[in-house]
Amino acid sequence: MLADTKTVTAGAAGGESGEAMVRPAQPYWNPYVAGFGLGLVLLASFVIMGRGLGASGAFSSLVVAGSNAIAPEHTRANQFYAEYLGDGSKSPLMDWLVFEVIGVLVGGLISGTLAGRVRSGIDRGPAISNRARLFYAFGGGGIMGIGAKLARGCTSGQALTGGALLNAGSWAFMMAVFAGAYAMAYFVRRQWQ
Amino acid sequence: MTRLKTTHYAAILLGVLGLFAAFAGSPYQGTQYTIDAKELARVVEGEVDHVNPETLADWIIQGKSDFRVIDLRTEAEFAGYHIPGAENAALTALPEYGLTKSETIVLYSEGGIHSAQAWFLLKAKGYRGVYMLRGGLEEWKDRVLFPTLAANPTPAQTVEFAKMKEVSKFFGGTPQTGAAGDQQPTVEPAMPKLEMPQSALAPAGAQKKKKKEGC
Amino acid sequence: MNAPFFKFGLFGENVSLIVAFLIGIGFGFFLERAGFGSARKLTAQFYFTDLAVFKVMFSAIITAMIGLFYLGWMGVLDLSLVYLTPTFMLPQVVGGLLLGVGFVVGGYCPGTACVGLATGKIDALVNLLGIFAGILVFGELFPFVEAFYTATPMGQVTLPQIMNIPYGVVVFAVILMAVGGFAGATRVEKAMAKRKEVQPS
Repeated sequence: MLADTKTVTAGAAGGESGEAMVRPAQPYWNPYVAGFGLGLVLLASFVIMGRGLGASGAFSSLVVAGSNAIAPEHTRANQFYAEYLGDGSKSPLMDWLVFEVIGVLVGGLISGTLAGRVRSGIDRGPAISNRARLFYAFGGGGIMGIGAKLARGCTSGQALTGGALLNAGSWAFMMAVFAGAYAMAYFVRRQWQ
Repeated sequence: MTRLKTTHYAAILLGVLGLFAAFAGSPYQGTQYTIDAKELARVVEGEVDHVNPETLADWIIQGKSDFRVIDLRTEAEFAGYHIPGAENAALTALPEYGLTKSETIVLYSEGGIHSAQAWFLLKAKGYRGVYMLRGGLEEWKDRVLFPTLAANPTPAQTVEFAKMKEVSKFFGGTPQTGAAGDQQPTVEPAMPKLEMPQSALAPAGAQKKKKKEGC
Repeated sequence: MNAPFFKFGLFGENVSLIVAFLIGIGFGFFLERAGFGSARKLTAQFYFTDLAVFKVMFSAIITAMIGLFYLGWMGVLDLSLVYLTPTFMLPQVVGGLLLGVGFVVGGYCPGTACVGLATGKIDALVNLLGIFAGILVFGELFPFVEAFYTATPMGQVTLPQIMNIPYGVVVFAVILMAVGGFAGATRVEKAMAKRKEVQPS
């Protein structure tokens, strides 16, 4: 029962291949198999580290590191940023999540390369232009950034990790994510269909 | 008779695992609260579990960073004065506080009772690096902040006192001259910010990175 | 066996960063395998045409959940040492709604945006920049948001605790829900595919 969708790279910006890959794009794995693998990675993290996965936390560390480089007093004075600075003895980038996210980039690249799916481009539906897509990508990202901070995590950290741990707040979060996405889907359907 | 597909096998397996889990009991079996009485007795007798105030003072002056100091008193008492670099935690909150089982942890309270109780609690949970500050804050004040020199000091005591004078000044204390017990310290040093030569402490005690395990 | 290994001092902070990197590789690998480097595939979930997001997420959740339960039950893993993020019900629900909205508008979530970037998607890069901007805005406005951010704290609390039901029973319930969801998802996808055949867009 393999999923049959292939990557669709549409748009003028995606003409040239990012990598000189001769291998054609291969179909995705069965979602249950991929999910099982993902679950094992998550379990390994619990067993080895006593913590789960995450993503948005690493981005916060990045933002704080950048802010600290540009305006250190302002950063330290801000209660939210200061938490990522700790006592100042080490950079906010020396953080578990930052290293994990770098790993995610590498892992994604490995899988994509093996499957011939690394190709520069913009993923969008046929009914919308590249510029509009990028505009929505940025705006959606902004809303997500705020949402992730309010919720203390994103789908990786809260939904996957907290979900497996039966964390009450994480399950509430997960349901809210689905609710919000389904509610909004109608209004942006032109992007995708 | 219909043949079962892989998906059906998987669903049955999951159902069995779930059903078993429903009757299996608690998944917290790995959380041991066992106490090895003999080992405990040996440790208590040998006072292996104590740290002297002078030793702790030394660690702080040298800027050692591989240990944590936990103050078990109330927030108000902590705000009044605390040992530089200490973190405030209630005894009840300790198990969830975020201590790893291998790091060096020095517990203190006003005297010794609460730190002993906390030591016991953590030791029972398998924490290997817990220590109590001998004499608690009382002895810290007596020996580090306000060291006294005996009336007829031996040469060794004089040397010791000279060293403790420097240490006490480092922590903002006042060495006491005159017979021990003569003077009562009248002023408690206020403690929000203390300039430490080596380690840069953030105001209100060193704030370890709180986002250690969030996502 | 003393697990979680890190909490028992098997290795230090520096090695843990290498562990983070390796685990991240596994994470990114399986996300991409599932096709989550593509915004179209991800958002198809919310139009009922491709429910891979639900399938992958819940397969992962129940795999890890079952693993945690049984390892804890066998005494191999000390479940109480695994970090549980404290619950702040109200901001987490509102944050979830916002994240859902941002997800379907932007096309990625923070983790999958990284995978998208790794496979060359420019929109994923722009999405990430948007996330940074969002975090920055949040940080700058933090003094105003702080009260809401810390509202309704409930501490570190699990569903079994909150519902006062044995842990294993909740595990069973989640498994049933997931399997039922998978069966339902297959039906829905078939129905949507049929609809598309009948009315070619």
